[in-house]
Amino acid sequence: MAESEATMREIIWQELTQAMQEAVRGFAHLLPRLIVMLIIAFAGWVIAYLLKWILRSILRLAKFDKLSENAGASQLLNRAALPPSTELLSRFVFWVAWLGFILIGVSLLGIGGLQQHIARFFLFLPRLFVAMFTIFFGLLAASFFSRAALLAAVNANLPSPKLLSISIRAMIIIFVVSMVFEELGLAEQTVLLAFGIAFGAVMLGLAIAFGMGGRDLARQFLEKRFVREKKNEKEDEPSPL
Amino acid sequence: MSERLDALWYKNAVIYQVHVRAFYDSNGDGIGDFDGLAQKLDYLRELGIDAIWLMPFFPSPLRDDGYDIADYTSVHSNYGTLEDFQKFLAAAHERKIRVIVEMVLNHTSDQHPWFQESRSSQDNPRRNWYVWSDTDTRYRGVRIIFLDTEMSNWAWDPISKAYFWHRFFSHQPDLNYDNPAVREQMWNVMKFWLDLGVDAFRLDAVPYLVEREGTSCENLPETHAIIKELRQRLDHEFPGRMLLAEANQWPADLRPYFGDGDEFHMAFHFPLMPRMFMALKLEDRKPITEILQQTPEIPPSCQWALFLRNHDELTLEMVTDLERDYMYDAYARNKTMRLNLGIRRRLAPLLDNDRRRIELMNGMLMSLPGTPIIYYGDEIGMGDNVNLGDRNGVRTPMQWNGGWNGGFSAADPEALYSPLLLNPVYGFQAINVLSQKRTEHSLLSWMQRIIRVRKSAPVFGSGSIEFLYPANHRVLAYARQLGDETILVVNNLSSSAQAVELDLRRYKGKVLIEMFGRNLFPRIGELPYLLTMGPYQFFWFRLRRI
Amino acid sequence: MAEESVLTDDFIRQLINVGEVDVLVGLPTDNNAETIGPIIRTIQAGILKTFPRERAVIINADGGSRDGTPELVMGASIDDVRHAYSGQALRTLHSVSTQYAASPSSDTALRTILAAAELLRAKACAVISPESTNIESEWIARLLRPIYYDNFDLVTPIYRRHKFEGLLMRNLVYPMTRALYGKRIREPYASEFAFSGRLGSDFLARDIWGQEGGRVGREMELAISAITGAYRVSQSFLGTKDRVERRPADLVPVMRQTVAVLFSSLDTTFTVWSNNHGSQPVPTVGPEYDVTLEPVRINRKRLKQMFSNGIAELEPVFKSILSASTLSALQQIASLNDEDFRYPAELWAKTVYEFAASYRKSVISRDHIIQALAPLYRGRMFTFLVENRSGSAEDVENNIENLCCEFERLKPYLLELCNGGK
Repeated sequence: MAESEATMREIIWQELTQAMQEAVRGFAHLLPRLIVMLIIAFAGWVIAYLLKWILRSILRLAKFDKLSENAGASQLLNRAALPPSTELLSRFVFWVAWLGFILIGVSLLGIGGLQQHIARFFLFLPRLFVAMFTIFFGLLAASFFSRAALLAAVNANLPSPKLLSISIRAMIIIFVVSMVFEELGLAEQTVLLAFGIAFGAVMLGLAIAFGMGGRDLARQFLEKRFVREKKNEKEDEPSPL
Repeated sequence: MSERLDALWYKNAVIYQVHVRAFYDSNGDGIGDFDGLAQKLDYLRELGIDAIWLMPFFPSPLRDDGYDIADYTSVHSNYGTLEDFQKFLAAAHERKIRVIVEMVLNHTSDQHPWFQESRSSQDNPRRNWYVWSDTDTRYRGVRIIFLDTEMSNWAWDPISKAYFWHRFFSHQPDLNYDNPAVREQMWNVMKFWLDLGVDAFRLDAVPYLVEREGTSCENLPETHAIIKELRQRLDHEFPGRMLLAEANQWPADLRPYFGDGDEFHMAFHFPLMPRMFMALKLEDRKPITEILQQTPEIPPSCQWALFLRNHDELTLEMVTDLERDYMYDAYARNKTMRLNLGIRRRLAPLLDNDRRRIELMNGMLMSLPGTPIIYYGDEIGMGDNVNLGDRNGVRTPMQWNGGWNGGFSAADPEALYSPLLLNPVYGFQAINVLSQKRTEHSLLSWMQRIIRVRKSAPVFGSGSIEFLYPANHRVLAYARQLGDETILVVNNLSSSAQAVELDLRRYKGKVLIEMFGRNLFPRIGELPYLLTMGPYQFFWFRLRRI
Repeated sequence: MAEESVLTDDFIRQLINVGEVDVLVGLPTDNNAETIGPIIRTIQAGILKTFPRERAVIINADGGSRDGTPELVMGASIDDVRHAYSGQALRTLHSVSTQYAASPSSDTALRTILAAAELLRAKACAVISPESTNIESEWIARLLRPIYYDNFDLVTPIYRRHKFEGLLMRNLVYPMTRALYGKRIREPYASEFAFSGRLGSDFLARDIWGQEGGRVGREMELAISAITGAYRVSQSFLGTKDRVERRPADLVPVMRQTVAVLFSSLDTTFTVWSNNHGSQPVPTVGPEYDVTLEPVRINRKRLKQMFSNGIAELEPVFKSILSASTLSALQQIASLNDEDFRYPAELWAKTVYEFAASYRKSVISRDHIIQALAPLYRGRMFTFLVENRSGSAEDVENNIENLCCEFERLKPYLLELCNGGK
């Protein structure tokens, strides 16, 4: 009896040792990788910080802030209590870069299953950037064209220029947002469909409105462009020059 | 002479205008004479001219350089005797040179015996030989020709206590051509010289022969009738002789002087001459083409006489005020150069002694339709002396060499009829026949060559003219045609190099042969013919189909 | 080299045939067959009267006319082939025409004329508008004599016109040009003007051509070049200017040709205008002119309405352009009714200067800045019309003079805006 107990104790001890050995082995197997991952993470932090610094300088030089002010992006950010665009973009790039590096490190750990997700993350990045560019320039365009429409309408003495301006801005933004959603692959079909319906409706409405109400304007426009006639209109405004 | 039977000799001739007095003095009295002239005929033959036009050499008080004639059928003693003249005439004919004599029909000197008789009393048979009047109000409004010296066309004669009519100087009373006796006498005068052998007459001041109240007293039909009569008699008794009209009129008014080929054979084209100078200064062919466009067609037996300069001032009567002012400012800034309504300068000084311009002007003279007349001395580029009165500045002695009196006379320099030119540019030591004969590229040699080229092509004298109007207005281009011979003349009137494109499609396929060097130029194709020309350059091209 | 591409081979050939000239008259056209005939004849009469002995040419830069305008121009040449001219001409007077493009562009037309002037080495050049049916032959003398005989480089015109014509010029362009550059030139941008060959060549050589196709307002640039460079400028009284009826839609293009150019010049000529103080009169040739005072119908109400409308609708735009005080002042006067409304000179000058500074800094698109100015200008027009409604010629002149003084007085403010805002 004592022998079986001793054997069991031996076996347990053996098992324990083995398990511990395995664990240690496994740990020893993991540790260097962990260390490497930490090193990578640290290096990544440094590089990401550098990138952020460089990007911030470039953006400052290119007066990115002003551009985004033009786009109306600054106002948006302000209202959302976010830092200004340059800062925001730099920080975003910093985080993305560092995260990237960390993920590279993690992938090294060889934890299965994670590889795939990590790979997908990296694949996702370019689309994220494209989406960001699209939003940014879309905002810029929306702002520019809505303002152009506003000024033209005011100078042509059209009724409700603000409405025109806002509707143009809205249309462009809707268009841009749809593009972004599609780019990111979020609920593509739904958004596409919804956009199509909304856009179509708005256009149809505008067409009817302009077509009926803007007949004269259209005729004037065409006349001016295609028929060379003497300006006989008595609009009673003295010549500025 | 068999050439005498060549009735149209004057169409292809080159005429040399000379004053006996100014050419060569053989007897040392300081005045040129007929003997001297005869001695220089070889020079003229070598030059290539075909006829000499002599300025008046008749006895005269010389108050108008011989145009005030005191005896129509004799020779002024300064220049020799009638025999001397005949000897000269024979010598000229021997060298195939014809002689044109100046005949002043319109007026005589007041020293002429006819006038002396006419003024002596109202009953004198020759009273009506001149135009007398008790008042000076007849023919009111008629223009005065010698504006600088005369105030009126009437002059008071103290001897006969009446006014006499004179279109020129007051010492040159007009003959009365309404008087048949006058007409008969003047024919006899002409006959006298024709009998001696003279080949042609230059009839001076023909527009003014007859006066009628209420008219300009110029170009009247009665005048033309008289001329027709003269011509008829001439053709009848002396075929082959020529009449040249001096009538300073617009081309349209000149046309009647040709009649239907039954008046004058030739007439001076006065309006063209100042326009050639104007075109040169403007660097624009417009003045020339315009006047020639206005020039009417003349009967085939008739011919224009062209000239650059003559013994008179460069007349600006037949130009507009705008043009006259321009000419004055361009060519006669110095007011002493202006006389009557013209400029009294020779060819070379007018053109600043610029050899290229002199050549160009002579080139146009020789290639425009008409018979060219060279004024003595212009073939060597003689200068003028504006300090001599009236028009005497252009009538200085001919410069033969760089020696004593320029080789003109053995007399003392102070005895010469006119001072010689002495300045370093135009003086006789710089400009003379001898030194120019020695150099191949002197103006004289060049003149000989161009006369030779001109005479090699009868098309110049007898051909038609058609202007090309290239877009470059600084180029004057025209085609002369006779039969199937065509010559293209292109003149660059500008002082700078020019490119010109000529539309020669109607001569397509012909090759151009430049007439002086006889070198080939490209064949005419469909495209505009491009010529590049240096300053004041001109081309004469013979068009040859080959 | 930039100029060659503007001139076609055919035009160069025509220029070869014309050769060197002393005087050149440029005529930019676009379907002007109705008016061009008498204008050309008047120009020719003027040239022959003023420069009977000089070599001259009329250059027509045509922007693709389809009504035979170029043929009319060329057929009017005075030479030994055409005999349509019945007067006296000493020499050939060419009229050449070239089509510089299939559609009109005043920029290219001017460039063509400048290129021709340089190639022909013209000493004095003038540009005449093909719509000036009131032109007299005297205009040639008045424009070109100062250049040809008195060595001026630029001659701008002075017209006799109605007191309510040319308000943009008199309320903005003239006062501001005067304040900036110190020269009292009343019409820096005009349809007729004259320049010397020297100025033309210098301007042509500048590296501004060929950029930004479709740019307008080169004539104004030429005037500014002349004013700010070492050139002599003078004015010449011409005559009555045609009353051309304009539609309100024409205002913005006109502003682009004048105001935009003026604002742009702030950058390029900074050293000149920042150092200039006050203004001097410019030598003027010709009699004193008076404005004509006949009553004319103008829709004033609409002007005020467009002003108020603009203030209301364009507030976000103005916020980026104007200072807060100016904007609130404008909003205040916009709320006034027609009788009480006044857009005072000082406020107007401030408005213009703030716009100019914003334009310089491109706070928003520059073209939008110009468009935004239009309704404000209309408000100023309204005030001008009201103030001078029953005024005599002298009163009008005084009012303009006061306005100019305001501009000059506030110039340091502009300088401050341009310097500080950086």
